[in-house]
Amino acid sequence: MADLFAGYGASPASGRRTAAFDEMFSDTEGAGLGADGAVLAEARAPYRELYTALGRMTQTELRGRADALANSYLAQGVTFDFAGEERPFPLDAVPRIIPEEEWVDVEAGVKQRVKALEALLADVYGPQSAVRDGVIPAKLIATSAHYHRHAAGIESANGVRVHVAGIDLIRDERGAWRVLEDNLRVPSGVSYIVSNRRVMAQTLPELFVKMAVRPVGEYPYRLLQALRASAPAGIDDPVVVVLTPGVLNSAYYEHTLLARLMGVELVEGRDLYMSGGFVWMRTTGGPTRVDVIYRRIDDEYLDPLQFRADSVLGTPGILTAARLGNVTIANAVGNGVADDKLMYTYIPDLIRYYLGEDPIIPNVDTWRLEDPGALEEVLDRLDELVVKPVDGSGGKGLVVGPAASRKELGALRRKLIEDPRGWIAQPVVQLSTIPTLTEDGMQPRHTDLRPFAVNDGDDVWVLPGGLTRVALPAGQLVVNSSQGGGSKDTWVLGRGDAPTTGPHDVSAITAAQAAPISVLTGAYGGENA
Amino acid sequence: MKRMRVTHTTGFRYRGEASASYNEARMLPDSRPGQTVLSAHIDTRPSAPQYDYRDYWGTRVTAFEVLSPHGELMLTASSLIEVAPPVHEACALSWPELSDLRVSSVEVVEQLPQSRRTAPPDELVGLARDAVASTSTPCAAAELICARVGAEMSYVQGVTKVDDTAVEAWAARRGVCQDIVHVTLGALRAVGIPARYVSGYLHPNPEAAIGETVVGESHAWVEYFCGSWRGWDPTNLIEVGDRHVYVGHGRDYDDIAPIRGVYAGAEAADTFVRVEITREA
Repeated sequence: MADLFAGYGASPASGRRTAAFDEMFSDTEGAGLGADGAVLAEARAPYRELYTALGRMTQTELRGRADALANSYLAQGVTFDFAGEERPFPLDAVPRIIPEEEWVDVEAGVKQRVKALEALLADVYGPQSAVRDGVIPAKLIATSAHYHRHAAGIESANGVRVHVAGIDLIRDERGAWRVLEDNLRVPSGVSYIVSNRRVMAQTLPELFVKMAVRPVGEYPYRLLQALRASAPAGIDDPVVVVLTPGVLNSAYYEHTLLARLMGVELVEGRDLYMSGGFVWMRTTGGPTRVDVIYRRIDDEYLDPLQFRADSVLGTPGILTAARLGNVTIANAVGNGVADDKLMYTYIPDLIRYYLGEDPIIPNVDTWRLEDPGALEEVLDRLDELVVKPVDGSGGKGLVVGPAASRKELGALRRKLIEDPRGWIAQPVVQLSTIPTLTEDGMQPRHTDLRPFAVNDGDDVWVLPGGLTRVALPAGQLVVNSSQGGGSKDTWVLGRGDAPTTGPHDVSAITAAQAAPISVLTGAYGGENA
Repeated sequence: MKRMRVTHTTGFRYRGEASASYNEARMLPDSRPGQTVLSAHIDTRPSAPQYDYRDYWGTRVTAFEVLSPHGELMLTASSLIEVAPPVHEACALSWPELSDLRVSSVEVVEQLPQSRRTAPPDELVGLARDAVASTSTPCAAAELICARVGAEMSYVQGVTKVDDTAVEAWAARRGVCQDIVHVTLGALRAVGIPARYVSGYLHPNPEAAIGETVVGESHAWVEYFCGSWRGWDPTNLIEVGDRHVYVGHGRDYDDIAPIRGVYAGAEAADTFVRVEITREA
């Protein structure tokens, strides 16, 4: 039993002043030491079953299973684009476990956040009362690169703009959850959750047997429901499509999977055209009217008539059709104004303003470089802070002060002075660690969590768990897949709807956990099942 | 009060045939304080169903698509408008008062940042700062900036292109009204005076006889903010008056181009334009 975790945490995950919170062991220093089996007592309660189950395997055995995981992903084409190269998205064999009582708060916090962000977007593209009431400065909106004036006046029938949100969370040195950033434009990664679960259930079924893990297979169904609910008024059986930029996009795998699981067509811009104020899909049977477009194309490429005239990915005129109320574009155009990282610093105030509630999950402390004094303080402490561009995503442009060279810091300093509106700064948070199988055996690696929320207009539903991303290099604090990260299956324990009598048959476990494709397509009569 | 009929004909002549085109026109004036629109409509050839909406800036937009092959696209916007002489009240707003007001709403604060087209060269910033130094209020400084920029620049057709910037126009000291307005906006914004681009029409003759049709032009001028928006026409060195017909405003030309479109099939397109204005009363 000691074999697998021997030496765990012996080499610290980073050269740090404050230790990261380890989610599996309450005392990582001691956990790996005991060849006498005493380590069992160190595992935190939610992880004990898993620890015991893993303990029945040797490192060689687990490695064999981990290789099986990796091969399965290669065969399925689950990859991500890293520096222009398609690589398999590595799935670690050790899942993250979130006990029910903890999840209840995370779920409530994510719901609250999405509701406030919806209210913010309706306000920004509407009356702008938060500006009038002095909660946010007018300049914050006016200078946002993603305040799309073309989006003014476009509203879906049920008012939803954030059909899908990915809210990035981390746990700080005390283990407390915090929001790191909001993703309201085209959040991606949900396909990994579904695939991770299916592959984990196939490869390590015995881990599921003793625990009631809440399944994730419901997601495509929930998404489809939400998309249908936002269709133009008076459409009984709306036609939904997934709009992809095409095979060259790094998330193409996800686009195909979601279309298949929802039983709807996967289309590219050239498959659609606007005519007579409606959007039509070219099919072999003639034109079919499209009512809801779940688009995975960025705003700027969506409609060359409104945005980039050189875009060949989009469809001219679809914004006009949306404005006329004849088609719904999901997520809405212009959502980026609300997930701007400078706007992020105001979200706790905006939760109080719109909902009259205190934020359930706090932000990470953040400096606004535009505030008097803040720029000066940040420039003084550049080597100990994380600095991020306000409209970047995927970790692009982010600089981790302690890890940056003097030259990099010098270049950063000039950028901050030149454009303080463009940047925020945060203390380096030691993201929580979870045991991860590495070349050096089981080692702590930093993680974050992206829960996905779906808004159908009546309620915000949060997929149990989310995408746990793990930074694979030791001490690395940036966990984006585009920065060379991997992922972990994320298990939320408990609640009645999960199968509590553990089926011992692998296919039954897989089916229960990740919902077989045939069930969904059968229910919705998809054409390309 | 003047009543004017404006007929604005424009469009594209494609090299080859366009198999489809999607277009938006911003050519119809709207009623607003001092201006009453009696009628306004657009005809297109080939004819096409039109969708009308008001955009973010409040401008009337006519969107339409032509999905059959066409070698030429022609639009004719016809409008009948009554314009009253504007009332310019003396404005004594101080610089500290302006600095509070200009950040109070998105509508004002968004007219402060420079765009690609308005970004001013250093020399122009110097001109604007001198104007501030020699006046006591933002309103007086703004007027002086408009007048000085207008006096420095000569109106010359054909020397600038539709996508030229303030830097290019200022270096040449020449351009059409669009260029002169971009230069003026650059100077006003450089000293913290919110200013916006206005698109419309100008009757060229203050003494025009009723019923006489003259060749006019699409015109542009600026509005600067000194507690309220005030119009100034740097091309003609005059305050905006009852010969100016207001179509709409934006941060620069790109927000209010009279026509924009995308097309498939043809290699390129030439544009043509003709504006006729008749004073009817």
